[in-house]
Amino acid sequence: MAVKPECIAMLLAGGQGSRLGILTKNIAKPAVPYGGKYRIIDFPLSNCVNSGIYTVGVLTQYQPLELNDYIGNGQPWDLDRANGGVHILSPYQQIKGTEWYKGTANAIYQNINFIERYDPEYVLILSGDHIYKMDYSKMLDFHKEKNADCTIAMLEVPWEEASRFGLMIVNDDGSISEFEEKPKNPRSNKASMGVYIFNWKKLRKYLIEDEAKEGSGNDFGHDVIPAMHSAGERMFAYQFDGYWKDVGTISSLWDANLDLLNPKVDLDLNDDSWRIYSRSPASPPHYVGADAVVENSMITEGCEINGKIDFSVLFANVTVEEGAEVKYSIVMPGTVIKKGAVVQYSIVAENAVIEEGAVVGESPENMEKIEDWGVAVIGNGVKIGKGAKIAPDTMTDSDVGGAE
Amino acid sequence: MSAKNVLGIIFSNAYDEALPQLTALRTMGSIPFAARYRLIDFPLSNMVNSGITQVGVITKSNYRSLMDHIGTGKPWDLSRKREGMTLLPPYDTPGAGITIGKADALYGCIDYISDSKKEHVLLTDCNLICSMDYEKLIKAHAANDADVTIAYAKGTPAQLENGTELIMDESGRVSSTGLIDCYSGSTNYSIKVMVIRRTLLERLLHEAHSAKIVDLETLISKNVKHLKVYGYEEKGFVRVLSSLQSYYDISLELLKLENRKELFAAGRPVYTKVRDQVPAVYGIGANVKNSLIADGCHIYGEVENCILFRGVTVEKGAKIKNSIIMQDTFVGENSSLNCVIIDKAAVVKPNKTLCGDSNYPVYIGKGIVI
Repeated sequence: MAVKPECIAMLLAGGQGSRLGILTKNIAKPAVPYGGKYRIIDFPLSNCVNSGIYTVGVLTQYQPLELNDYIGNGQPWDLDRANGGVHILSPYQQIKGTEWYKGTANAIYQNINFIERYDPEYVLILSGDHIYKMDYSKMLDFHKEKNADCTIAMLEVPWEEASRFGLMIVNDDGSISEFEEKPKNPRSNKASMGVYIFNWKKLRKYLIEDEAKEGSGNDFGHDVIPAMHSAGERMFAYQFDGYWKDVGTISSLWDANLDLLNPKVDLDLNDDSWRIYSRSPASPPHYVGADAVVENSMITEGCEINGKIDFSVLFANVTVEEGAEVKYSIVMPGTVIKKGAVVQYSIVAENAVIEEGAVVGESPENMEKIEDWGVAVIGNGVKIGKGAKIAPDTMTDSDVGGAE
Repeated sequence: MSAKNVLGIIFSNAYDEALPQLTALRTMGSIPFAARYRLIDFPLSNMVNSGITQVGVITKSNYRSLMDHIGTGKPWDLSRKREGMTLLPPYDTPGAGITIGKADALYGCIDYISDSKKEHVLLTDCNLICSMDYEKLIKAHAANDADVTIAYAKGTPAQLENGTELIMDESGRVSSTGLIDCYSGSTNYSIKVMVIRRTLLERLLHEAHSAKIVDLETLISKNVKHLKVYGYEEKGFVRVLSSLQSYYDISLELLKLENRKELFAAGRPVYTKVRDQVPAVYGIGANVKNSLIADGCHIYGEVENCILFRGVTVEKGAKIKNSIIMQDTFVGENSSLNCVIIDKAAVVKPNKTLCGDSNYPVYIGKGIVI
């Protein structure tokens, strides 16, 4: 029998992230690389550990191989533990048949037995899709102080973007009076971050009820939380201030990476008291050559840089040869950019090869019609031939021959 | 014979006295090297990459930083229920002083050696920088049915106390070993990596203890005639640290791609304790040429022909050339450094100038504020 923790976390990491296109063809969204040496899931996992939550269930479903491999025994996050630690929870066969996780609530429902093993007072529900640093222990304090049944983390978003979010109308005491799901005319700019704390006994009851309900979507935001609200449970909103980004689209992933180069953006990864942990590839320090020019960029271990880098984020073991240029781009691990090639306003996935003289992407200033501009994406292991040109706002998922 | 049947022993303190500045507060094994490593990472990784599963790390003094670095051996996958890595602190019996030689140190942990039940023992120091495949050495040792196999390199040896050269016949069998007295010209010098039959080692150590021989080289040298001692040539990038100057020179040799390719060969990763720092950040106006940079650095100034360890900050207008700057050191605005070695967590305040020579680098100690 496990030692009883006060609070355990359940991290929903089964999402495909379909709007990331070819970047999530073979990996789940939480495994998408971010910020030179991280993957998105490093953020909620590190937040848990830094908040003193050492039991984390990670619910996987879509393309779990890479994610499972990455999390492994949880050692990089100090989650390899005798009591608790990280557990990968995949859908499984049952006597009544086999079921995929039908929705976020159903995923937790199917793992009631896992949670019961620990019998915690509280359960923290997280998603593996966001970049943010948050102290969940403060949110838990708030939850206890309000004697709440459910606390939802919320963030004030710009009014013009509010209609893209699930919104909450909050009373003066912090309790939630109404929910609005992506309304046309928002009456609030307090958006849900998809971070919930529940009293486990209450949640358990609602999960069982929700499962029994015909036609339920088995989703927290659409079904379980509204049901709790209409039953008059104590629902509170916990305000979060700070950087929070959903990296659900190519442009938001690109923005979120380049945010790291902007000193005005409130996301400090150097903070010793709140480190973001990741699995490290054991590469040597990076080398910057005699003719290289590197400005305004982030570069990590194993890179060999002999070209020009500006406003870019380079992941481990990237090679940039002489005369090549990388600007306003994200280059993921193991990619080689050969002599004289140009990679601009692009995201290049892992182990791609950009041959000599190829040009990937385009600067928005050079576009005739700005509507046609967008970030160019090169898929995993794709080879772009000598002198080839890759247009902006495209996704390239297979090799492109050279231009003769 | 497989490397699984070999016990690895690393002497973390051997030759501490050769680099008194860098070992004032630490062991040879915990000297920072190559922007993100400690010297012990090289023998430890070599052992793991060669398939050795049990490693003892012998310490003598000042080993707090070493313990902090190697912990339970996790980064090298040596944190195990069975075998794995064991730190072997000095074993001090009443009346005996602190250990002074390698034979003496081995005698102190003779129980650990015999309990391992391994057929052979591989011994190495930490001042040797190379990516060495011990498996080949072990295979050669087995093929010769040797009692002892000593790895050597060809060339001009580093000037160290106890420098040994091997005199071999055509088959590679060592007929005698001698102290090197002349440090010019090429010779077959021992790089102090040795494989020895475990039971023989135990016997020799008992003999040495009664005869009060404390030095391992002397012990082997005395017995070379009636043992089967073979030489094994290690080719490629092999460097022996023997002074602060050689630390400086060897470090900067890594700015050459061909040397890095040998030391950090594909498929033979060098593992180290992970610090979980952000990738290096280059600001507007950063100007870095021909340098090795670790994660966690913040660079806003000029850096040329340098090695920057993790967490170094170079402020705007600062100029650093031909220097080695260790972890968490801060170099203030408009300061100028040339040919310096700055130890951990030092601070160079704005507008300071420090200049050494490539034949006499200036050393700034740990935590010094200038």
